[in-house]
Amino acid sequence: MIELNNHSTPTLYLRLRRKVTLPKGSFIYLGQLAQLLVEPELEGKLKQIIIYKPTEQDGNLVLINMLQIIKEVKTLEPDLKLEFFGEPHILIELVKTKPAANLFLLTFACILLFIGSGLAIMNFHADVSMMAVHQKMYTLLTGDVLEHPLLLQIPYSFGIGAGMMIFFNRVFKKKFNEEPNPLEVEMFLYQESLDQYVIAEEYRKGQKRSDLK
Amino acid sequence: MSEILAVVINIIIGLAGGLAVGGGFVAFLVVLDIIPRLAQISKSYQHICWLEGAVVSGAMFWTAAEFFNWRFSFFSLSASFVGVFAGLFVGMLAGALTEVLNVFPILAKRLNMGNFIILLLMSMVIGKVVGSLFDWIVFRAM
Repeated sequence: MIELNNHSTPTLYLRLRRKVTLPKGSFIYLGQLAQLLVEPELEGKLKQIIIYKPTEQDGNLVLINMLQIIKEVKTLEPDLKLEFFGEPHILIELVKTKPAANLFLLTFACILLFIGSGLAIMNFHADVSMMAVHQKMYTLLTGDVLEHPLLLQIPYSFGIGAGMMIFFNRVFKKKFNEEPNPLEVEMFLYQESLDQYVIAEEYRKGQKRSDLK
Repeated sequence: MSEILAVVINIIIGLAGGLAVGGGFVAFLVVLDIIPRLAQISKSYQHICWLEGAVVSGAMFWTAAEFFNWRFSFFSLSASFVGVFAGLFVGMLAGALTEVLNVFPILAKRLNMGNFIILLLMSMVIGKVVGSLFDWIVFRAM
């Protein structure tokens, strides 16, 4: 049994999560937002504290500030000392039940990518006069001059596909390696930038609201 | 006297040009993260100097081969061997371009298709392969 403190004042150690996804329409409890370290008797009660009741106006994203949490906890337990770690805010995303992906849009996107990337690679080849280079390479290696060195070009085309798959670390579902590939890193960074922007925006809006009061 | 001067100026211009092109080429590779990516896949971070050496020697060898019109007479399938590796390189290049790396996350988020990223990626890869084959087999006039 960990001796959390040896004074008479109980302490609540709090660590907010960075982001949570919660179902829309329900209240937000402290237990969903943070990791709590406190005397076991208080833990159950503290987890049930309602921090916020989301309204229609809030939309999909709610930013909860540490100050709101401290206020709610102090209202219930005035003697409790609070210590917190980590970021002083948490971003909550309210989602309804997951909408099924639109099959029509998916097919559209696949066809778009298929034709678009084919076009891009053809443009690239035209841009760098790949044909002349291939002819030169073929002559360099075998000594024959050939107008359409297909023996070089067809393996080359399949090599393009294999190269992209090596780069993205997967063949359909199978992965080569456990490390994240650049695409996953980019997606993560994009999501992070989005979240940071939303957090800054919410703070700004909150500031404006309190200025008007 | 002026001939010697002409030769010296030619050499200087050639060296300077080569320096600029070489620097630009390496910068291109660095920006696209190809060498680090290969080192990551082959788990050979300590031997990265070998990869760098390969790039430099490859650039110099093929430049010389192109300018001096070298000719070897290897068997025909050597062309296929070289072709596959050339394709692999271009494929990795294509994967590293911004148009792929930044378009996909936004596409996935906007169209709510996070689970189907693999499918979208595959259509892109197959599109490139088919496009390239198209270029060589169907566009015989060019």
